Amino acid sequence: MTTKKISKKDIGKLLEGWSRELTVFVPSKDKGVTEMAKWDGKDTGFLEWYRNTVIPAKSSFLPAMEKMFSFQKNNDGYHLELSPDQQKRIVFGIRPCDARAMVIIDKVFTDSYEDPYYVSKRKNTVLIGLSCTNPYDSCFCTSLGVKPAESADVDLMFTDIEDEFLIEEITDKGKELLAAASVVKKATKADDAKAKTEKAAVSAMVIRKLDIEDISEKLQACFTDKDYWEKVAAKCVSCGVCTLLCPTCYCFDICDELSKKQGTRYRSWDSCGFSIYTQMPMENPREAKWRRVRQKVCHKYEFYPMNSEVIACTGCGRCIRLCPVNWDITQILASVPAEQPAKK
Amino acid sequence: MSVTDICHRKKFLAQGNIYLPHIVVIDKIVEETPSVRTFHFNFKDEKLRKRFTFESGQFAELSIFGVGEATFCISSSPTRNGHLECAINRVGLVTNALHRLGVGAEIGFRGPYGNTFPLELMQGKNLVFIGGGIGLAPLRSIIWNVLDNRDKYGKIDIIYGARSPADLCFKYELASWSQDKSVNLVTTVDKGDKNWTGKEGFVPTVLEQIAPSAKNAVAIVCGPPIMIRFTFPVLEKLGFIPEQMITTLEKRMKCGIGKCGRCNIGNLYVCRDGPVFTYAQIRNFISDEY
Repeated sequence: MTTKKISKKDIGKLLEGWSRELTVFVPSKDKGVTEMAKWDGKDTGFLEWYRNTVIPAKSSFLPAMEKMFSFQKNNDGYHLELSPDQQKRIVFGIRPCDARAMVIIDKVFTDSYEDPYYVSKRKNTVLIGLSCTNPYDSCFCTSLGVKPAESADVDLMFTDIEDEFLIEEITDKGKELLAAASVVKKATKADDAKAKTEKAAVSAMVIRKLDIEDISEKLQACFTDKDYWEKVAAKCVSCGVCTLLCPTCYCFDICDELSKKQGTRYRSWDSCGFSIYTQMPMENPREAKWRRVRQKVCHKYEFYPMNSEVIACTGCGRCIRLCPVNWDITQILASVPAEQPAKK
Repeated sequence: MSVTDICHRKKFLAQGNIYLPHIVVIDKIVEETPSVRTFHFNFKDEKLRKRFTFESGQFAELSIFGVGEATFCISSSPTRNGHLECAINRVGLVTNALHRLGVGAEIGFRGPYGNTFPLELMQGKNLVFIGGGIGLAPLRSIIWNVLDNRDKYGKIDIIYGARSPADLCFKYELASWSQDKSVNLVTTVDKGDKNWTGKEGFVPTVLEQIAPSAKNAVAIVCGPPIMIRFTFPVLEKLGFIPEQMITTLEKRMKCGIGKCGRCNIGNLYVCRDGPVFTYAQIRNFISDEY
């Protein structure tokens, strides 16, 4: 693969060029909580402060709240109207963990019935990855096969090499985008070598480890171990942060909003951490908190791999660093009992 | 042979966007019990009326625009086409809104979704239908389906229970099944009134008394989760193996197509892998998660 490079001070120019025809999303802290948001056209300060966004980049494809269609009641009955979503976009700066998460959840949205909202956003977006330089101590991506400074799950991958970024063209879509950019130069062998060193160095900075060997089987064996799950769930406050802000959590709710004779159907993120999530008229299979915590853990490390042959976790560490009660998935999984408990 | 091997899935009537409902019009409402009404409806678009097909066991998402969408099994049989029927218990936001609607009202319809009852597996077998309360709704589709092709099946037992005589659904059809000599219908209620001539007691208990033979038989169970949980052990006691025990499950659902996440039992999604399952598929989870 031939590589290219760009000077960090030219990133503004590069984004500016793209933003003439495309909507460019970059890491932003405008709303107080960091997330991918529409670029204001000048500020590239994120290159300094950005470690990872609090709201994962999945929000660019599965927004926290999204209009599905609107409806109106006339004399001849109901009329439904879809709002077109064909905006061509660039998401610049996605971290390798969040990019892998998109590949993991793609299956859900393309399997048997294609989800039009998600799929059109994925198709219309060029994903540009940015290597980590400073992982959090809650990060454990390397244990899940994600490398913090490299990714093949994006269209273009930018690796930080001091004053420049080395650019790898992963897909044709990425290559095309780069072709017209005059600020991009050919990389030298020395640049490639620098990037290689950097990739290894950042990987080594991820010190938290999670042993995922046989994790699916271990969880299967302790599924009915109520004592274990009650202990694990004891301090959980069911706030939903570890799911809503998880890059591989995709659950959603569908709700209507009505004003007079017209209204809108929305979908919004939902979480298995909430008891109403599974509430049925007569009973609720997951009313007890420990059942909900078990669902969350088992879905990611047992059920999802059973269905899709991939663990639904990329080790981004959000569920650890954003948890208000210091719940720690790596500790939980390390403490899964190896043997099935004796039947009581 | 498992249910998933032989059930096939009819693809949704594509109209580009899978979340966009078709408009259907209510053309009849039947009062079943104090809280259950059967809604008969048909597509507003005449072309769709002709194109639409479904099979027994499948479900749909019905929506009241401005209130929301909820999941209902189709309780009419594809052998009696012309319109669709859903028996709906008034319990929540959407069902209460539905019960306020009259003939001529327009609602949204997405479907049919989910797999179907394994008709091929059932052919040539004795069938034991076990239903509780509103759980007769999905069974009714397959019961009519079977009765309309009566010579393809063996002996038919129907064990149906409800809390009280007034809570029995489809009373007019129970009457015709009880007169059908090829059908053994047993009805039971928790507590009868002075006119009650059926049995008294919970469905699993009555099932044990009736004790249908497991030989060359398939049991099809649907009812409230607690009834389902207690019925499987009785069937096992009667000699049914998990592969001979079929159920259709209900969970809170939003999308109906395996995306929104909430209807899983272990790694299985009720909407995508079901709603029809064999006991063999779900026994590891059902005592604990359903």
